[in-house]
Amino acid sequence: MTTFALVRLALVAAAIGIVWGVALPAVQRMAVVERHVAAMELRGVNPAAMVYTELDRLPVRPGWVEDRVILWPYFWP
Amino acid sequence: MADDSPSRRRCGLHEDVVATVIGLAIVALALVVTWSARPADSPGIREKWPKGWPTPLSQTIDKPQTWSDSPLTAFRDKKGNPLAVPIVLGGAWVVAVAVAGAALSGRSVALMLRGAIALALLAGTAYLLAAQKVIHFYNLEYPLWALMIGILVGNVVGMPAWLEKSLAGEFLIKTGLVVFGAEVLFSRLLELGLPGLLTSWVVTPIVLVTTYWCGVHLLKIPSKSLCMVISADMSVCGVSAAIATGAACRAKKEELSLAIGLSLFFTVIMMVAMPPLIGWMGLDPIVGGAWIGGTIDATGAVVAAGESLGKEAGEVAATVKMIQNSMIGIIAFAVAVYWAGWVERADGPREGGLLAEAWRRFPRFILGFVAASIACSWLFSSSPEGALWVDGTTTGFTSRLRGWLFCAGFICMGLQTNFRELAPSLASGRPLVLYIGGQLLNLVLSLAMASLTFGWLFRKAVEP
Repeated sequence: MTTFALVRLALVAAAIGIVWGVALPAVQRMAVVERHVAAMELRGVNPAAMVYTELDRLPVRPGWVEDRVILWPYFWP
Repeated sequence: MADDSPSRRRCGLHEDVVATVIGLAIVALALVVTWSARPADSPGIREKWPKGWPTPLSQTIDKPQTWSDSPLTAFRDKKGNPLAVPIVLGGAWVVAVAVAGAALSGRSVALMLRGAIALALLAGTAYLLAAQKVIHFYNLEYPLWALMIGILVGNVVGMPAWLEKSLAGEFLIKTGLVVFGAEVLFSRLLELGLPGLLTSWVVTPIVLVTTYWCGVHLLKIPSKSLCMVISADMSVCGVSAAIATGAACRAKKEELSLAIGLSLFFTVIMMVAMPPLIGWMGLDPIVGGAWIGGTIDATGAVVAAGESLGKEAGEVAATVKMIQNSMIGIIAFAVAVYWAGWVERADGPREGGLLAEAWRRFPRFILGFVAASIACSWLFSSSPEGALWVDGTTTGFTSRLRGWLFCAGFICMGLQTNFRELAPSLASGRPLVLYIGGQLLNLVLSLAMASLTFGWLFRKAVEP
């Protein structure tokens, strides 16, 4: 790896360090962000889940749905 | 001329076959290990094991946890237990899969070992960046940061020659997709009965096909695979659908990167904007939840938005999205058949009949993906114990491994991404128009169908 490439690597690492180490923690202290993060943590929600298996709780059909919605009508085989 | 492509080297097996063999072997191993450690106490009671049977393999893989100010806290779980070892082992799984793939496909194992270690380190870094709380709780998922790291290393720092020779991004993503098949359970499709089926099976395919058609014929986007990937990630379930259909229609790395970027950007906007909009419209929680589940791309963002409306809306939204997750297998298979039999056949030279031609071009690893999905779906629906067995295997191990493989695959994609190839499409703004137009259609049709099924047609007349 050339010296020039090492310098560029150091600059990229420093930029990432500043954004993730300083800027994002500062953003997190903003009231609206703080409220959103606290609400998600309180409810145990993982908004970064790509698929349902990554959620903190696996979705299952809530029991109350059948009290309000006909899931399988009489004509359904 | 000898074929020296990464797909077939020396006398080794084809990359698709290797991905299928390794992926299915991993799923089988995970099922066997989970079964061998099944609990003796109430093995069929869901309340006792809400995420399925605990599997010993979960100790061998994890990822950095959410952190605020110090990234060092990412290496401990919520209870403060150290996680450094399973995180390092997560990277080791990537190395093991890449090296096994190289050995079976006839590539240099020594070269691959070095490259795979570098990829695993970069994948761990992407996970660490994605775990920062602001990033995490606003759904900016790890693929974005994996792509960013890859692009930075490839375009700003410069990729070392030895790393360039050992990139196996497509192989890692294909293997990840076969492993992902274990999570795509057809049995989940019936979770919300006929209203759920109608919301998913009617609206989603209509939006997918219409958006693709508009992209190709109205907007005249030159790349059909770009239209397909954007349509699938917007109408089905975001990044995971983009990966599956992108592999099925052989989309370019740049196209997949663009589709994922669009999806993540609009997911954040919709996650924040839809709950107040639904509140303002005064929609019933079931209808509102079904609308959110049918429209927001990413699963986690669906749950976050649904929970913002209340527990009931959150539960319905998550279940509708899970039904859409379960459609990925069928859609990826259909796209692969359509691409092999019609799109590529029309664009390329014809050799033999339709079936022979389609089979020759068909991406074989999709069969591994579908096989894993069918086997685990059958196991899941065979008994309550079977359901907990599959859930424990997927939540405790295969979903984590799939995440690591995708993450490393995205690093490779970023390293190889050349945005100059997409410059004409990007400058025209047509992919953005396609996404927004398709999403508007999705919003209108999903609201209509959710109101029709959950709000009127199948609504019980007397509520408790």
